[in-house]
Amino acid sequence: MTTRKWMTIVALLALVSMLLPACATPTPEVVKETVVVKETVPVTVKETVVVKETVAVPTGGELVHLVARCKAAPPHEEGRCNNLLAAVGAANAALAEKGDNRRIELEIIQDNADWGDYKTEFELASDAGEAPDIICSGHEHIGDWAPAGYITDVTDMIGDYPEFDDVIDSLWNATKWNGKMWGVPQDAEARPMYFNKTKLKELGWSDEEIASLPDRVAKGEFTWEDMLDTAEAAVKAGVVAEGNGWWHRPKNGPDFLYYYYAAGGQIQDEGDALIFEKDAALKVYKLLYSATQERGILSPTRLDGDWTSWHTGWTNGDVLFLFGGSWNWAEWFSNYVADRGGEDYLWEHFGFSAIPALKEGKDTPITLTHPLVYMVSSQCEYPDLALLLISKATTPQLNTDYAIASGHLGILKSQADYPPYTSNKFLSQVLPLLKFTTFLPNSPYWSAWSEAYYLGIQSVESGDLKPEEALDVVVEQLQNELGEHVVIR
Amino acid sequence: MAETIAGDEAVAGQGQISRWAQIRATLGAWGFMSPAAVLVTVFFFIPVIILFVISLTDLSSSNFSDPLTFIGLDNYAKLFRDRFFPKILGNTIRYVVLTLGFFNVGLALVLALLTTHINRRAGFFFRLVWLLPRITPSVVYVLMWRRIAHQPPFGILNQLLAPFGVAPRYWLVKQPWLFVILVNGFVGASFGMIIFTSAIEAIPRDYIIAAKVDGASTWQIIRDITLPMIKWPLLFVTTYQTLSLLTSFQYILLLTEGGPGLYTTEVWALTAYKRALKTYFGHNQWGYGAAWGFILVIIGIALSVIYLRVFRFNELVQEPKIDVL
Repeated sequence: MTTRKWMTIVALLALVSMLLPACATPTPEVVKETVVVKETVPVTVKETVVVKETVAVPTGGELVHLVARCKAAPPHEEGRCNNLLAAVGAANAALAEKGDNRRIELEIIQDNADWGDYKTEFELASDAGEAPDIICSGHEHIGDWAPAGYITDVTDMIGDYPEFDDVIDSLWNATKWNGKMWGVPQDAEARPMYFNKTKLKELGWSDEEIASLPDRVAKGEFTWEDMLDTAEAAVKAGVVAEGNGWWHRPKNGPDFLYYYYAAGGQIQDEGDALIFEKDAALKVYKLLYSATQERGILSPTRLDGDWTSWHTGWTNGDVLFLFGGSWNWAEWFSNYVADRGGEDYLWEHFGFSAIPALKEGKDTPITLTHPLVYMVSSQCEYPDLALLLISKATTPQLNTDYAIASGHLGILKSQADYPPYTSNKFLSQVLPLLKFTTFLPNSPYWSAWSEAYYLGIQSVESGDLKPEEALDVVVEQLQNELGEHVVIR
Repeated sequence: MAETIAGDEAVAGQGQISRWAQIRATLGAWGFMSPAAVLVTVFFFIPVIILFVISLTDLSSSNFSDPLTFIGLDNYAKLFRDRFFPKILGNTIRYVVLTLGFFNVGLALVLALLTTHINRRAGFFFRLVWLLPRITPSVVYVLMWRRIAHQPPFGILNQLLAPFGVAPRYWLVKQPWLFVILVNGFVGASFGMIIFTSAIEAIPRDYIIAAKVDGASTWQIIRDITLPMIKWPLLFVTTYQTLSLLTSFQYILLLTEGGPGLYTTEVWALTAYKRALKTYFGHNQWGYGAAWGFILVIIGIALSVIYLRVFRFNELVQEPKIDVL
């Protein structure tokens, strides 16, 4: 063989070896260990799962093909669409019982797309006349989709399905816009403060003090300020590294709104415009500036957008306090500490409570619930069948299976007495947090409000601006972006 | 007389032929240009017009299905009132100038010169290596860089520098611009490298041999023969890459998302993308994003005209003198 041929073969091999890893199916879970640290690479599968269910249709009947679209982190959140699939039989049985000759055939499309992309996809699909019949998404999207006419007003139809009577009343508020209901709650969650028991012990806390922390938080005896003092003490004592006293999420998201609520802020009243209260925002900015720039509790690079490091750092026990979500619990035991004992390992090393009260603000413990809701597209030709299917997925059994697998809270009143739900240690302990809960607003202006408010958070944490300067920037940004749709006070 | 008539007919015949030849030449020119003209019209002029029209509306996620509402130049006013507009513009200039100077033209030229002055096969191999970043999927490529510049105790750079006593740090956050330029530059350098290599290899060997016979050093050959003879490819790469960098943002989006902190590495095209298509809660402001995009088109067109004038591109495209003769 000539040298040129050899060269060609070597070049081709190099190219193929480079392309193959890029094309290969991601490994579900890989754990690398070194003496110093542990880094766990979580499940990164993002492929879209499309499943079709075939059903028998009576003679002369009609087979109605419905499509449901869900965003779900695999594997623990897949119940969002899988529950609809599981409900097809019950829905068709109900139709048969009523003498209705129609039968439902369901196709689900489920992946873990980015929220923004997921939302845009639905909007573009709607405009192209190709929207799915059912979409499961964040309730705040109602603020955009209801005025745009993408989703169906279900206010007058909800009463036709007795299953919906079981939904916790307060959750229906999250489905409302303009006084109408635009969806059905699919899940709920709480956003707790997690604490690291091992590090608290190292700091000198007794077992009793650690065990009583959730109660003390609930009673307002252990405040946000106390949490920051404890975190600072841990950093100073070398129990945790600088910047690891307290972590919040690494990018924008619903969480930061409860900081504003905790500081006494209000975002909505009867009017259409959103409200921005300068005092509350300034308190938040001062708190974050002090934690990052002055006290070394929170790293100035915490908002680096890197979720993998965030989960890894926490599950490796490097951090004292963390503001996360209840769903993180399921994520951690299935993807991060499965090899270390799974959920038992979490119970041994970590605890959780409500977000402590901000003494300088509202002075009550807080959390935020961000229910996902099933919405029926306005392009759906059979909204009654779509709702029937949703109603059959809104049962204690299916919803509890999903809640346990995903670390989300139940949405049904009956789950309070449903043994599989009540016997789940995590869910039963998270449930009381709901009494402190708050919600995002359903408003077309929320996204711009949130982006501007987050700009202030970014700027004080990075040290680019002082809190007062950040406030000025945010106010200016809000007025420029939203004009008459925001009230600054 | 008969001869005269015959001569006039011949002249008239020649005139007809030359007119027909002229028409044919014109039609031929239009025929050859039409595919490009159609492409430019469909993929540039029409989108630019659509972009401008959208930029005059308040089109967003919440009114996407409604008829367009025209709001005049409000989006442009909003854009210029944005206090971060000068910073984003400054970032864009910094990004384009540094990436272009150090990598897309600078390093590309160095690579082309180096790989054409060594063994031909070795040169081919090194050029192939430098093409790897370009043919690696963007997400994989940036993921590798993020791992290189990751925070302690991770980070390949931290591991490599530890034996030399360099304190570990979160390189990507501490030196975001360095990595933004490196990540883009390592991809961008290969384009110029290929163009320059082919231009250098097209230089007749006689010039080089003659210079060597006259005792010219390698540096003299590069300075006095190679560089003047690849002047046009240099100008082409500079122009093309300027416009390309001006509109590129995907590596910055994947690497820093425009951060850390307050618009630290946010460039114009990224802002347009974020406004139009990418916010956490997904409220897309297509009208406002289109205004950002349209300004970028204006900047691009203005720069193109400046480049064409300053670098006298007319001379590049004029008919060869040998054909005129």
